[in-house]
Amino acid sequence: MPITIHNPQPAGPAPRRPRAVDIDMDVASDSDSDSGTGGAAIQGDIPMHDDDDESIAQDEDDEFEEQGDARDEILTPGTVITSNSQWMRGHGTYVPLNTSSITSSLAGTLTRTNKLLSVRPLRARYNPEIGDLVVGRIVEVQAKRWRVDVAAAQLAILQISAINLPGGILRKRTETDELQIRSFFAEGDLLVAEVQQLHQDGAASLHTRSLKYGKLRNGVFVAVAGTGGGAGVVRSKRQLWTMEAANGGGKIDVLLGVNGYIWISKHIESDAAAEAAGINRMEESVSSQIYSSQNNHMDVTTMREIARCRSVILALVENGVKVDEDTVTRGYNEAVEFGRESMEDDIYLGGERGQRLAAALAGR
Amino acid sequence: MPLDTSTYSLALLRIDGRRWNDLRRLHAQIHTQDAADGSSYLEMGHTKVMCVVTGPAEPQAGQKKGTVGSAQATGQKEGASIVVNVVVAGFSSVDRKRRGRNDRRIQEMEITIQKALAANLHTHLFPHSTITVSLHVLSQDGSLLAALINATTLAVIDAGIPMTDYITACTAGSTSSYAAGDDAADPLLDLNTQEEQELPFLTVGTLGDSDKVAVLVCESRVQVSRLEGMLVVGVDGCKQVRRLLDGIVKQKGRKMIKEGAVRKSDMMAVSLDE
Repeated sequence: MPITIHNPQPAGPAPRRPRAVDIDMDVASDSDSDSGTGGAAIQGDIPMHDDDDESIAQDEDDEFEEQGDARDEILTPGTVITSNSQWMRGHGTYVPLNTSSITSSLAGTLTRTNKLLSVRPLRARYNPEIGDLVVGRIVEVQAKRWRVDVAAAQLAILQISAINLPGGILRKRTETDELQIRSFFAEGDLLVAEVQQLHQDGAASLHTRSLKYGKLRNGVFVAVAGTGGGAGVVRSKRQLWTMEAANGGGKIDVLLGVNGYIWISKHIESDAAAEAAGINRMEESVSSQIYSSQNNHMDVTTMREIARCRSVILALVENGVKVDEDTVTRGYNEAVEFGRESMEDDIYLGGERGQRLAAALAGR
Repeated sequence: MPLDTSTYSLALLRIDGRRWNDLRRLHAQIHTQDAADGSSYLEMGHTKVMCVVTGPAEPQAGQKKGTVGSAQATGQKEGASIVVNVVVAGFSSVDRKRRGRNDRRIQEMEITIQKALAANLHTHLFPHSTITVSLHVLSQDGSLLAALINATTLAVIDAGIPMTDYITACTAGSTSSYAAGDDAADPLLDLNTQEEQELPFLTVGTLGDSDKVAVLVCESRVQVSRLEGMLVVGVDGCKQVRRLLDGIVKQKGRKMIKEGAVRKSDMMAVSLDE
C-alpha cells in the first residue's frame, strides 16, 4: 500500500465542527440522507462533540449565542472587559501596563454599580466587611488580645476591651482582667462576634459587646465555603434564628456566620426573672455564666435533631444550593419527612439522599 | 530506540502515532476537593497530577522561617508569600524510586513554579498572608513540569486568587539528538518520557494568549540554531493548552450558574464598548 508523505505543516486553526443547526438544515433539504448518521444531532442546539474538542469549538459557539445566553458567560483571567475609558475598575479587575483596557483577573461574573465594573468570583475565601456576623475560633492568646480564625486571609483580632467583662457591661478593664485573660477565652474556644473595623492590610477587629455575642456552647460546629460566590452562606437579613425541632427535640438555634462557619445549638431560654429586673441587672446575672465552658444538659433527641440539621447543611453545600434561613428550614422539614420513611429514622443525608433533598428543594 | 530517525523521516509519525505538532490528550477537572480553597486534577497523556491551593491564609508557625524542602518567596515586602510543595508518588514512574524532599530536581521545579506565580498573581492584595500550593504527581510520562504548571493555574483560579492571566506550559523538542549534529532537525511538541530521554527538549510557559514567556527551562544540550524553532512550536502549544483550560473553567462556571450557586452577569461585556 503506497504511503503518501507530507512535510510538516504549521498548525492551522482547529477544524470547524459541524454545528447541530447545520446538520438540521442538511437533513431537511436532503430527505434521502441516512438518519443513522445525523439523527443524534438533531435533538437540540447542543453541538455534538466530545469533551476534548469542546473547548476549542467553544469560542466559535459563543459568537452565535443569543444575548440572553451570553449573560451566562463567565469571565476568565486575562479577558478584556472593556477598553472604553468611561468605566472604572473595581474588584477582580486590573489594567495591564501601557494599556487602558479593564481586564478581568478572576473567573467569575460581571457586576456593574453605576460606572464601576467588578468581577464576582465563582469561589473565594471570606473577605471581612464591617458589621458581618462571624463565628470564629481562638487560635492564639496574647497579653491584651486574642487572635481568632475567621477563615479570612489573616487572623482577626479581638481586644480585651471589645468584650463584655463579667460584672456589668460598663466596668472598666483592669490589670486583673488582663492577667486572667484565659478565663474568658482560651485556645480552641468558639465564639460569635461582629466585625467592628477593618485595618489597612485587610485584617479585621471583632467585638462581642452585646448579649447576642460571646462564647458558644451546647452545639456543633460546621464549616462550609463562605461568601464570595459558590455554594455556601449568603449574607441575608437574619443570620441567627430559632426553630422548633421535630420529634420532640425542643428548640434549636442555627447561627450562620457570614464567613461560612456555622453553629447549631440547643436553644437556651434566657432567665425570665432576670429580664424583668431591668437591663443593667440582667447584664450582671447573665455575665456570671457567660464565659463558662460547661455544656447544659441535653436530651438525646435534641442531639439527634442538631445532627440532622448539620446533615441538611452539608447536603445543601454538596449539591450546590446556597445556605440561608429559607433553604435550611425547608431542607430540615424535608429531612424529617425522609427520616419517617425508614424505621430507624436515618439522619444520614450524603450521596443519593442528599441529591433527593436538593431536588425536593428546587422543585418547591 | 524511541524515536527511530529512519522511521520518523519515512512516515513523519512519532512512536505513539502523533504528528510533530500534536498535543497529547489533555483532560482536567477543577474544584475536585470540597474542603480545599482551590483544587484541580490534570492529565496530559499519561502524566497525571493533582493540585491543592490553600490560602491566602495566615502563615503556619513552621512556614514563617522558611521550611526545608519547599520553595518560598522571600523579599516580598507587602504581598502574600507563595509556598510550593511538590510530592512525587513512589508508584508514579516505571522504576520505583524513593525521592526525598531534598531532591534537587524537585526543588528546582518548586522554585520555577513559585517564581512564575509570584510574578503573575496579584499578591499585593493579601498582605501578611501565605498561599500554599501542594502538588502531587500520581503518574509520570514526560512534560511533568508543564503539567504541574497547568494544574497550578487551574487550582489558583478555583481558589479565586486574582492573577494577570493564565500561565500555561508545554514542552517542545527536536527530532534528532545533539550528537547527531543536525542543524535543521524538525521541532516536536509535547514529548513523552521516551522522547524526553532520547531527544533535547525545553519546557516553555506563556502568559495567556500573548507571546510573553513566563517560564523557560532547558536542561539538555541542543544546537542554538534549533532553539528558535522549538520555542515557536512550544509557544504555539501553550496557546492550545490555554484554550483547553479556558474551556474547562468556563464549563464549570456555566454549571455553577445553572445550579444557581452564582448570579449571572449584570450585563454583557460586549455592550460596554458602545
